[in-house]
Amino acid sequence: MTKKYIGKRIKRSEDPRLLTGEALFVDDVEIHGMLHAAFLRSDYAHAYLRSVDVSAAQAREGVVAVFTAETMGDDWQPGPPLVSPPPTVEDVIFHSRTQVPLVKDKVRHVGEPIAIVIAENRYIAEDAVDDIMVDLEPLDAVVDIEKAMQPDSPLVHDDLDSNLAAHIEQEKGDYAAIREGADLIIKRRIVIDRGAAVAMENRGVVAQWDAKSQRLTVWDTTQAPIAIRNGLAARLDLSEHQVRVIAPFIGGAFGPKMMMFYPEEMLIPWVSIKLDRPVKWIEDRYENFYATTQERRQVHDAEMALTLDGRILGVSDVFLHDSGAYDPYGLTLPLNTQCHMMGPYDVANYYSESKVVFTNKTIVTPVRGAGRPQGIFIVERLLDLAAKELGIDPVEIRKRNLIPPDAFPYEHKIIDQAFAPLIFDSGNYKPVLEKAADMIGYDQFVKDEQPRLRAEGRHVGIGIVPFIETTGVGPYEGARVTVEASGKINVATGVGTQGQGHFTSFAQIVADQLGVDVRDVHLVTGDTAEFHWGTGTFASRGSVVAANAINASAKLVREKILALASKVLESPEDELELADGVIRVADIPRISISLGELAMLANPLRGAVEPGTEPGLEATAYFGPQYGAIAFGTHAMIVEVDPQTMMIEIKRYVAVEDCGTVINPLIVDGQIHGGVSLGIGNSYYEKLVFDENGQLLNASLMDYLIPTAAEVPRIEIGHEETRSPLNPLGSKGVGEAGAIPVPALFAQAMENALPEYDLEILEAPLSPNRLFELLREKEREL
Amino acid sequence: MKLEGEYIFDGPREDVWELVRDPDVLATALPGTQSLDQVGENEYEGVMNVRIGPVAGVFSGRIVVSDEVPPETCTLTVEGKGKPGFINGTGYVNLIDQGDGTTLMKYDGEIQIGGRLASVGQRLLDTTSKSMIRQGLETLNKALQARIAVKTGSGEVEYKPPSESEFAAAVAKDMAGEALSSSRTKWIAIAVVIVIVIVALILINIGGG
Repeated sequence: MTKKYIGKRIKRSEDPRLLTGEALFVDDVEIHGMLHAAFLRSDYAHAYLRSVDVSAAQAREGVVAVFTAETMGDDWQPGPPLVSPPPTVEDVIFHSRTQVPLVKDKVRHVGEPIAIVIAENRYIAEDAVDDIMVDLEPLDAVVDIEKAMQPDSPLVHDDLDSNLAAHIEQEKGDYAAIREGADLIIKRRIVIDRGAAVAMENRGVVAQWDAKSQRLTVWDTTQAPIAIRNGLAARLDLSEHQVRVIAPFIGGAFGPKMMMFYPEEMLIPWVSIKLDRPVKWIEDRYENFYATTQERRQVHDAEMALTLDGRILGVSDVFLHDSGAYDPYGLTLPLNTQCHMMGPYDVANYYSESKVVFTNKTIVTPVRGAGRPQGIFIVERLLDLAAKELGIDPVEIRKRNLIPPDAFPYEHKIIDQAFAPLIFDSGNYKPVLEKAADMIGYDQFVKDEQPRLRAEGRHVGIGIVPFIETTGVGPYEGARVTVEASGKINVATGVGTQGQGHFTSFAQIVADQLGVDVRDVHLVTGDTAEFHWGTGTFASRGSVVAANAINASAKLVREKILALASKVLESPEDELELADGVIRVADIPRISISLGELAMLANPLRGAVEPGTEPGLEATAYFGPQYGAIAFGTHAMIVEVDPQTMMIEIKRYVAVEDCGTVINPLIVDGQIHGGVSLGIGNSYYEKLVFDENGQLLNASLMDYLIPTAAEVPRIEIGHEETRSPLNPLGSKGVGEAGAIPVPALFAQAMENALPEYDLEILEAPLSPNRLFELLREKEREL
Repeated sequence: MKLEGEYIFDGPREDVWELVRDPDVLATALPGTQSLDQVGENEYEGVMNVRIGPVAGVFSGRIVVSDEVPPETCTLTVEGKGKPGFINGTGYVNLIDQGDGTTLMKYDGEIQIGGRLASVGQRLLDTTSKSMIRQGLETLNKALQARIAVKTGSGEVEYKPPSESEFAAAVAKDMAGEALSSSRTKWIAIAVVIVIVIVALILINIGGG
């Protein structure tokens, strides 16, 4: 294979369609006779449902049907759990409680759906929602995760003894023993708060039951169309082949579109079959704040033991993790946090205990970063405090602790989110740290520029944080590559696409394998009628698992091409080359055949086909990695704070990423831009604020602040490439990387910018208000 | 959410008490009130239009008056719900004779607000509610002056309740003033609706006594 395209900054082939409004999104689906759905959702966080009277709603003109848990009859069932608890860890407690399609007996969070109205249009449906009389008996809400664990707390699930959803301990070495001999112990309580993913496109589902063909077609803003198809078939008692799920273009997902099954995802297809009519539901922004999953709230009691020269002896941490009202996503998030709390450092002794807690809040599932930013925040904050205490430069203390390049594969002896041993497959951390320091001019800034600016009375600080990201976990993905008679290539894979540039990066791989123009490779993603094996787009795994499956199928097709061309051209395979859409004899280029002609020869209309051969130039292959590939990087920033207004300006932002083989640097850059933007939100803007009754107080984009172009700086990006030995392409994931180190980096830079306050930032996100409070507290102390 | 405040009426306590026992007066003091009806000895039901910033809608509610000591104190329990969400609360009202012909009204309460009112109206809730209370109480005070004037025969003082739009304009003007000079009041935190409810309650309660 010649690398004509892999590694090149190829412009995204899907962008012209996206930018000119030609791309199909779920809300673009219009079907004759389509009905529209709206939901009655609870205004209370915790309440017994006493009665629902839908008679007035049903009587409204234009309303076709209204369903409640009661009228669903036997079809009402809690959703299946998405991720099961780990079988390999002893003494794990896990209470599986999954979301319900409509509230039957008890409301467990604001926004939980109580009834669904189906009407001729959305206006009527929404008006009819107001006609429904619902009798709720309010209960004290479980909001604060620490109070939730007290014995007198109300219970989210009455059948459990407490609000404990899960408990898992992991241990490596012997932290208790090493603690005795440590020179320095840094111990702090650190809190990370809840935020939303805020995809530009909210969720949506359109379902069409065709009674004549007995087939169900569902357009869904899901990251996992195949899992949705399989689940729908099982729940609706249909064959998997009667159900087609299409995840068309999706305006961002970031994790929450992976929560199988949302109540709406099950209800809309169910209603379509029930009424024998197409049905559409599009989530509005207000619903999105309650009905789409969120993440990040954790309370940590963390400590780090070190020697006087700044070497980490061990890390110990006990944390509470807010699961919201249910726990369909198992232990993925707390496990990710546990796996990142040692960062890129050589830590011999580690103890982590996680308690997952039910609360009367929206369900928690991964949001870009998925438990990882919390782990990195903990280890980096502890290390920063230790560096201050020991008088060691922040960059220097990190260098002293990085896992050395000859230590890979580096076994951590704990389990990861896939319940597999946490092994760092490959890495070379120091050059990435040094490159970031170099790019931002760390030494020069600290020596010259910062003192000069401080003398002018300006508050300018620098931060630098290395990090790792577990990516590319199994189980597997697959793909089918076909050479068509036109000579163009069709590729089908099961993963959905939500803006990652799959149409371009996957095409680059195939174009290199088959020697065709990248524009002649056509991709189909996220349509179960095209490919129905696989799991989905999540956990930064597309460029690892799906890309390698595509590479493997393209390779098989290449072998078929060479075998047939060898016969047709009467030349040995090793003398043939594939380039420019033709197969030719390398030394005698005029002896050649085009790919299209060869594809026709592979699918003859007459004559006898040799036994044991398959028609066509087509192959299907799968890839499943042994375990996850560990990407890494270092981010650095220079920030200026105005201690009068508490407004900040990020003056420089440097991101150096090593995600193994880079398929398309332009797309990797885009992933980093997006990730860093979310990270900036998680650092200074985006916080969901709940009152003591579980009411969300900032459920609109007027009050929940997401970074805009004004808050996101120009990002300078550096690439390093340490190939993963776990897959033929040598790639690692990068989808979440950008978001992971930002809160830790921001905290370090802010402390550095305000030296006279001697700040300790032990929470994320901050905000202008919160910074004001912290500075006033410090002023009172001083 | 806690709600706390006080207001001085220019009139004796008995007159204030009497004024507020009249639900019709109360309704005029809070434009937007569509109805306020007594449904039991100490129970009232009402319907009111509420607008807080982008959140608007009709609330229907029930008020129960208890622990009455006329003309001094009472406790009000409120339950209201509508498209914009819900409000549940209890308020305690105290009328104090200041000995100089004026009456000090003190009130405090605890309320729960949910739904859109809490989640979208939040940023305007505090200032809007403070202002609505102030405007409402000032309207009542004017009504009080008119009554006293009639009673004492000291000439006509015209009382004309503000229209809904006049009231809204006064609230808006008041809020702008609030933004410019903060800490004009010592109210800690107030929900608009509660305010309305409280005033209503006070009036009703006193009336019910």
